[in-house]
This record gives sequence, structure tokens and C-alpha cells, in this order.
Amino acid sequence: MSDAVLDIPSRNRTRRSRSFWRKPWLLSAVLLVVFIGINILIQPRFFSAYALGNIITTMLPWMLIAVGQTYVIFGGSIDLSLGAIVSLVNVVVVVLITALGGGPGAMVLGMVAGLLLGTLCGALNGFLISAFRLQAIVTTFATSIIYGGAALVVLPQAGGSLPTEYFTVYSEGFFGLTLPIYLLVALILVAAFVATTRYQKHLLATGGNRQAAFQTGLPVRRIVMGAHAIAGFMSAVAALCILGVAGAGDPLMGQAFTLGSVSAVVLGGTALAGGWGSVTGSIIGAAILALINNIIFFSGIDYIYQAIVQGGIILAALAAGVFASRRQK
Amino acid sequence: MSDVTGNHREGAFQRAFAFAAGTPAIATLFGCVVLLVAGQSIAPGFASLGQIAGQLNVAAILALVAAGQGIVILSGREGIDLSVGATMTLAALLAGNTMNGQDGGIAPALLAALAAGGFVGLLNGLGITVLRIPPLVMTLGMAGVITGLLIVVTQGQSSGSTAPSWAAFVTRPFLFGLPGVLFLWLLIIVLIEAGLRYTRFGINLYAVGSNDFAARLAGISVGWTRILAYVACGAFAGLAGAVLLGYTGNIFLGSGEQYILPGVIAVVLGGTSLAGGKGNYVGTAAGAFFLTLLTSFLTILSVAPAQRQIIFGVILIGFMLLYGREKATR
Amino acid sequence: MAAVLEASDVAKRYGAVVALERGELRLERGEVHVILGSNGCGKSTLCKIIAGAVPADGGSVVLEGRSVAFRTPLEAQAAGIATVYQETGLVPTLSVVDNIFLGQEPGKAGGRIDRKARYARFEMLIGRLGKLAAHLDPDTLVGDLSIDQQQIVEIIKALSREPKIIIFDESTSSLDRAQVADFFALVRALKHQGTSMIFISHRMEEIFAIGDTVTIMRNGRFIDRRPVSETSRDELVNLMVGSALQQMIEARQSHRQPGKPVLSVARLSGGKAQGISLELREGEILGLGGLHGQGQSDTLLALYGGITRRGGEIVIAGKQLGGSTPAAALKQGLVYVSGDRGRAGALRGRPIIENLIVGILSKSSKPIAERGKLRAQVRPVIDQLKLKFGRLSDAIETLSGGNQQKVVVGRGLATGPTVLLLDDPTKGIDVRAKQDLFALIDELCAGGMAVILYSSEDMELIDHADRVLVFNTGHVVAEISREDLSEFALNEASLKTAPAHAEQQPAHV
Repeated sequence: MSDAVLDIPSRNRTRRSRSFWRKPWLLSAVLLVVFIGINILIQPRFFSAYALGNIITTMLPWMLIAVGQTYVIFGGSIDLSLGAIVSLVNVVVVVLITALGGGPGAMVLGMVAGLLLGTLCGALNGFLISAFRLQAIVTTFATSIIYGGAALVVLPQAGGSLPTEYFTVYSEGFFGLTLPIYLLVALILVAAFVATTRYQKHLLATGGNRQAAFQTGLPVRRIVMGAHAIAGFMSAVAALCILGVAGAGDPLMGQAFTLGSVSAVVLGGTALAGGWGSVTGSIIGAAILALINNIIFFSGIDYIYQAIVQGGIILAALAAGVFASRRQK
Repeated sequence: MSDVTGNHREGAFQRAFAFAAGTPAIATLFGCVVLLVAGQSIAPGFASLGQIAGQLNVAAILALVAAGQGIVILSGREGIDLSVGATMTLAALLAGNTMNGQDGGIAPALLAALAAGGFVGLLNGLGITVLRIPPLVMTLGMAGVITGLLIVVTQGQSSGSTAPSWAAFVTRPFLFGLPGVLFLWLLIIVLIEAGLRYTRFGINLYAVGSNDFAARLAGISVGWTRILAYVACGAFAGLAGAVLLGYTGNIFLGSGEQYILPGVIAVVLGGTSLAGGKGNYVGTAAGAFFLTLLTSFLTILSVAPAQRQIIFGVILIGFMLLYGREKATR
Repeated sequence: MAAVLEASDVAKRYGAVVALERGELRLERGEVHVILGSNGCGKSTLCKIIAGAVPADGGSVVLEGRSVAFRTPLEAQAAGIATVYQETGLVPTLSVVDNIFLGQEPGKAGGRIDRKARYARFEMLIGRLGKLAAHLDPDTLVGDLSIDQQQIVEIIKALSREPKIIIFDESTSSLDRAQVADFFALVRALKHQGTSMIFISHRMEEIFAIGDTVTIMRNGRFIDRRPVSETSRDELVNLMVGSALQQMIEARQSHRQPGKPVLSVARLSGGKAQGISLELREGEILGLGGLHGQGQSDTLLALYGGITRRGGEIVIAGKQLGGSTPAAALKQGLVYVSGDRGRAGALRGRPIIENLIVGILSKSSKPIAERGKLRAQVRPVIDQLKLKFGRLSDAIETLSGGNQQKVVVGRGLATGPTVLLLDDPTKGIDVRAKQDLFALIDELCAGGMAVILYSSEDMELIDHADRVLVFNTGHVVAEISREDLSEFALNEASLKTAPAHAEQQPAHV
């Protein structure tokens, strides 16, 4: 914004400083620096291209799903079926590509179908919630049962395999950088663009005060449904990314992502009540979750301690995050 | 002035009908009858008394978990406890190791299960009210911590075992050919319903769930009411864990997980508002019975687990479409 | 002159409840049209139908010669009708500019918002509001603004739509006197530009200050339409209440002799209230006056423990007030009743009886609730308040606003308080309910109960208070005794500024 537009300088100054301290992602950014620091301590070669590439590949699906979840939560809703959508898309794509013969055409068709399916699943959630005014938590839990069941019907056990081209392209990428790095950059650019749009503003308005948004004339139902569709799409993209690493289908693969995505969103400073937060924060939140896993892996902590350390750290971070955001208000 | 003024009086029949159609608990019980009739016509014996007793027996565990969940949901502010599964496992393992197959250990084991559950609930309640962590997040984190602890302690192995008398109380005929746990359930239904209506805590719980600022101004300690709700929820999960131990004999990590979300669904089917302040336990109990019957019904249809799962989800959505709608945005 | 908007025979039913039976409105170009009526008369429903917030069941609305039936607020806005709601019209988590331009942001390619253009338009808009919006920062979150500032944002938001018709739904209720004057200047300017305005207000003075025409409604029906210049207060009140009800409450002319002191407060701070000291005697009604939001509510809330107390000593009936929670205050004989039922009073979805007994239940701290006994305990209060209800087991929201407020008052009175704190208790309730309420309060005061009454209506203070402490910016700036109490005195005192030293002498009796 330019100062010429606003003629009162003092007013302008207080505004800038205040809005800086109220950035939702501030605390998570500090945490990110801390966890990167710990990572460097226990893994000196953390910044090597190889190690960095590896960790970005692990982080990416988490980030994609967390960003999708963020939009849903912005709108005052929540989607607990994103993990199930990941599973369903995952197996459908594998089965479809195999059925179509596994050529390049089959791969493109399979991927497009997967993206479409994910978007539709998300849109269905949004439709049920906004058209029939159902509680988001329970509704998406119910659809997660359905999507998860469908995944098991399509592929009862982990298996199937993709053509090798699929994961070589994914892991080798172009110009010396892996595909996940390009995708991460694309994700950040798209999220930054969306942040300047009317849609995000309207979504936040809907989550902040649905009644007010409705009275103002915003199509609140379509807005919420759109956010769910976006989340479904993002989950589908994540499923494709996971396939790029795993190379085979797994109907139970998505389970961990649902709650992980909610944790990442809350870690990123976004209010679970809706209407306030930032996508940047969620991306950082997802990165923190991945770094915590990395720390546990490299510090040689026994596998059996992983769950407890992870749970404890997340809980502490959340408590700190909630506490800090309360102080700011 | 009298309680009933003329213009509010309607026909008793009309009122009863409106009550049934507008009361999810009644609709859920009606759904149970439909399932029993349909099951009986497909597999004769499905609706026999022995079968029904067996179904009730299974439903009792779910109903105990749902009892606590219902109390927490009533307390409002997006109250929900997703740590009940982990708490159940914790309590069941504790009880199993305390009993260790000896009848003499039953009383201390039950106490330990209740105390452990209550303690977890206390931590949840403190985190949610004092630190103001959102309930969903707090209880999920708690579930992670408990599960982690259990993995460390048990090294992933099953340990402990039920006392024979406890197993008999839970599974074998005890009185009138019914297992003892059903009488325990009945007692709990009466206690909760009476507690909600005739104790200060019950009335305060509804008040807090309905409007917590107004409740505070009316002299209610909102924080303690909520904390107590989570303690009760944890204790019920602990009790459910002990019953689960009696039912299955020994406990594995993750034994309790399968009860978390069906517990929430039972509460919803029973007509408790997820917004808080509205609902009762009779409905929740009916919801638990309905879910149990539905599972068996799909089993006798020889529907494979994956398909069964899909049907389960569709029916849940159907019920929510009927009763779960929130107030319209005007 | 042709009417801009003409509504006739408009009806609306919610289930079995008839909210509007025969709504009628004829709005001319460039006029301020007041709709007057007690609660439940259907005026809000009529406005909502015109604004497209609820669909009508019958009747017709003709806008500039064209028959319209808006299904959404958006359609009404597109047709040039904007509404300034009293509440829930803003998004607390968004900034002031975000809210004002919500849904009509100046755009750039790709659905982006043109921020510069938006700030420029904001500056233009607040230029039109003059002093009223002088200190409004466009980037503050609306949730951080005070209620009056939020109302101003609502007004700007409506103006930004350049509407032909604006509906003001009690827009002045949260503004103080100076702001109301600025607001009326704005209304006059809009009038000159040909904008028509529908104005709902419970303040009689405002109707005469700004209205051109007044439509009176009662029980969902249109009763009459009068030019404001050709009517009087008494006539309007008579049309509103219908029967030959005495229009004004018979004030307690006899000056009762207050008893011994029951409450003394020294240097109490909390919220906006700064170092408040006061003393209260048995049977006395102490009024708190002044412009809206000068720390009167916060004084009462801090006294009761509803908000955090920052220092101060409170002695009630000779004993130091222990504890800082409402529960502790209640046990020592204090009761607080807010006029903001939705937020601070009604337990929605709960039966009337539970709404009534929670107070005594908290005070007794017995773990078992003997419902029969409790019911008997609240019965006298129900009768005294002339509560109109179906069954005691019906949910509180089945009652009218006035009766809901009676329940909230009854909850407090059932505990048998020594001191009753009333925080603008008659906000948005009808004349009859007000009368019932004050009749009972006067009666209880005669029996020795002491009352501190904050009211945003001067007449209420004049009619009922034994003396009035006038607030300005968190301080008591004047004390007016009963003999000197008049609208003039209250107005004059409310504009006084606080003394340089924050400490107040205890107001003498």
C-alpha cells in the first residue's frame, strides 16, 4: 500500500507494526528455525542437496494436504476424510493405469481420473455439509468410512505396481532438481496468488461469521463447497506424489494424513474456529511435522519411542501456539 | 397462573406423534426394530431373545464409551474426546495386569481402571479449560501420548488377563439369563439420566453447553463443570476398557481404537446436539444398540467388511440428513 | 409524489407462529420513515422481507413501480436496498476495509483484489461521514473494535453500496449522544441526495429528531401512518400499546427514606471503569448515567466478577467481598442482570424452569437439585413478574424478548439478593414488559433491596433512580440528586470531563 493514499502517517505506522505481530504464522516460523537447528546438529549434512531433496519429497504430501485442509478450516468447516481420499485416489490410479496397459497415455489418463475423483470426493463432502447444513466433523468422518471402504473394495491389499517411468520422472525431475522441488515452488506460488484473491477473502468471511457473509450477499454454500473441492483436489495431488515414491498402491496409506493435516494447520497458527489464519503457516506446520520425524529418525531414538515423542512435541507446540495466539489477541 | 395455558394445549395423540417424529432417540429405537424384523426374516433367530441379549452385551461396551462422549459433547464449545480409545486400552491393560487372572484382583482393577481414565480426563479438561487448547486437538494429542507410553511399557506385547469371575460377569448369564454387564448398563442409564436432571452438575452442564457466559454470570463455575465432564468421560472410557477386558479376555494395543468414532456416532444418532446443551443418554444408548445391530445385520447379509463399511457410512449420513441438520442461516 | 417502495398485505409465518399478518409500508423518495412498535409487532420481520433476508409468505412489495420478491439479501442489494443490522452483520476476523467492501471488492485480473483502489474508496467514504469515522483505522480487525465503532463500520458498509434505500435497524442503540448527532447529520445529507431511509428505534426522542413519517405496527399488523410533525409522544405510545394503557409509568413521587448502608465500593477498576467509588443504602436505586459505553457496564461487571477486577475494595452488608467470581458475589447477595439476553442471559435450548433455577442452585451449592422444591422457590417470582409462558418445560426461546428478559431477571431475584445490579436491563424489550419489571423492582426496593441501575435511556433513570452517578471515560464526573434529576441535567453532566486526579471521593449519600 502506498502512503500517498493514506494521509495520516501516524495511523499508518501503528497499523503496520500491529499487523506484523499478528501474522498467524509467526510462531510456527520460529519453531521451524528451531527444528532446522536441531536437525543440523544431529545431521550435519542436512543442507546437502541430497538430504534436502529427500526431506522435501517426504514433506510434500503433508504440505499439499495441509494446504487443502487450511482452506476448508478457513471457511469454518473441517475435513476428516482427506486421508481416505488419498487412499482411494492412490489405489484407483494404480488399478486404472495397470488396466489401461501402463503406457504414457494410460498414465496421463489415470492421473487425470485420480485428480477428478479426489475433487469430486471433496465436493461431495462440501455439498453434504453446506447444502444440508450437517456437522462437518461427523459428516466427513462418515464419508471417510465410505471412501476408505471403497478403497478396500478397489484394492483389498497393498500391491499393484506402476510403470517405472512414473517414479523415475518423479524422483529425477528436470535440470538437476527433483519434481517435488518444482511442485513445492508451484504450491507456494499458487497459495500466494490465492491469498490475494476475492475467493480467499470471501472464504475467511464465511468462516469468521457465516450469517454476516450470507447477509452481505456472499454465496456461502458454494464458497464452502469450493473449499472442500480444493481440499479433495490437493489430496489427490498428494496421492499422486506418494505414488511417485512408493510406486505401488496401498488402501490404508492415507490414514495418518487426516489428523496430521489438522495438526499442521493448527501449528501454523490458523484458528480451528475458522475465519483467521494463513496458508504459509500450514506449509510451515507441515514442514515442522516432517522435521520432527526426521529428528526422531536421525537421533537414533528407538522406534518405539517415536509415537510418544511425536505426540508430546505436537501437543506442546500446539499448547504454545494456542497460548501465543491468545496473548496476541 | 398454571403451567398449561389454553392455547398451548394440543391433542395428546398429535403431541405424541410429533414427539416421536421429532425425537431422534425414538427414531433410532424404531430403526432398531426395523433391523430386528428385517434380520429375523433373512436369518430366523436374529431377533430371538438370546440373540438380542448378545447384541445388547456387545452394545454395552460402546454405550459406556458413548456415555462419556455424550457428557463431553453436552458441555459445548466443540467438546469432543478422541482420546477415549487410548484411554480404554490403557485402563484395560491396567485392569488386566491388576487382575492377572485372579478373582481377588477385580475390585482394585476396576478402581485402577476408573482412576486412570479419570486422570486422563482431568488432564484433558485442564488442557482445554486452562490452556484453552481446542478439544479436538488436545484429546488427539493425548491419545498419541498415551499410545506412545503404552508402546514403551508393553513393548507392543499383550499383557495381563481377566479374572474368570469378571469374564463371567461380562459374558455369562448372571440374572434372568442375562449377563451382569447389562444390569450394570441399566444402572448407568438410570444414574446418568437422574444425574443430568436432578443434580447441580447435570443442570450446570446443560447451562454451560448452552451459553457459557450466561452460565458464569448465573454463578456457575464453567471451568470446573467442563473439567468434570472430561473426568467423567475418562472414567467411563476406563470402565468400558475394563468391560472390554472381561469380554475379550486379554488386551492388545489399539483394542480401544475401534470404539472412538462409533461412540461419537451413537451420541449423534441419539439426538445430542454437537453444539452442546441439548441431548440425553437414553438416546445415546439407543444409538449404540442401533450401531451394534446394524453391524450384525450386515454380517448376516454376508456383506464383506469393505462393503459393510461403505453401507455403514451411507446409513450414518442418512441419519444425519434426517436429524443432524444445524439451524439454517437465515 | 410516487412511493419508492410500497409493501402491502405482507405476511410471514414461522411454523405455527404468525410473525407478520398484514405488513404495510409506503416509503417516499428522500424521506426518513420510522417504523414503531413494541417487540413482536412484526417490524423486524417486515424489514427482513424488504431486505431479502427472509422470503414472504404473501402480499406484495413494489419497488419503483416494479413488483419484487427477493429471495436473498444479494438480490435486494442489487436492487438498491441496503441494511444496517444491529448485530451479526460484520466478520470479526476480518479488517475494517475487508468488511466494508466484502463481496464488492475492486478487482484486478485473476480474481485478485485491487488493494490500492480499495483504500482510496475507503478514504472517500469516511470523508462523507465526517467526525463519526474520523478515528477509524482501515486495517484494525473488526473484532478488536468497540461496539459503537462496529456500528459505524456497518453504516459505512451500507453506504458503500450506494443504495437507494437504507434500512437502519436500531443503528443508534450502541452510539453515544455525540455520535448520534453526527449520525443524524449524515442521515440529513443522505436525505438531500434523495436516499430513502427506514428507521427502527426504541428512542422516542430520535423519532422526533430525525423522522419524517412514522408507521405504527402492533401484533403483526399495520396500525397507522402519521407525519411526525403532526403527532405527539402520547399519541404514538397509545397507538403502539393499543389499549387505553397509561402511557407513562407513574413515577415514585414520594421520596422514600433509604435505610442503612449495604454496599460500599472504593477505587474499583476493571475494563473501562477507573477507580470507581460509591455507596449504596437499603431500598435505594442508584442510577448510572452518561453517554453509552463510558464504563457503567464495566463497573457493574467488575463489581460482580464478570470481568477481571483491577483493584478496589468492596464491602457488602458489612462483609468484605471474598473471591473474584460471579459465584462468590452471588453467595454474598449480589446479583447482576444484563439487558444483553442473547449473550449474557438466556440459556438457549434449555427449559424456562432450568433458566430460572440455575441461580438458586448455584447459591445453595447443594449437589442434588430437588426440582419440586426449586420450582416452588421460583414460583412467587414468576407470578410477581407476570411472566407469560406456555409450560415451564418449554425452551426459553419460545418466549418473546420481554418475557425472556423477565426469566433472566427472575433467575437473579429468586436468589433473594441484597443488591441488584441492572445493566441496561430493558434493552430491546417492549413497554409493557418494562412496566412489569420496574413495578416489581420498586416493590422489592420498598422491602429493602438496593439497586444499581445503568440505563441508556434517560427517562428510565429519571423515573426510577434516587440519585444518578454520571460517567465519562471511565470516571464518575457528577452526581445528581433526585430533586435535580432532569434530561437537561443528565445531558449537561454527561459532557463534563473527568477530574485530573483519577481518585474519586466516595459519593456521599
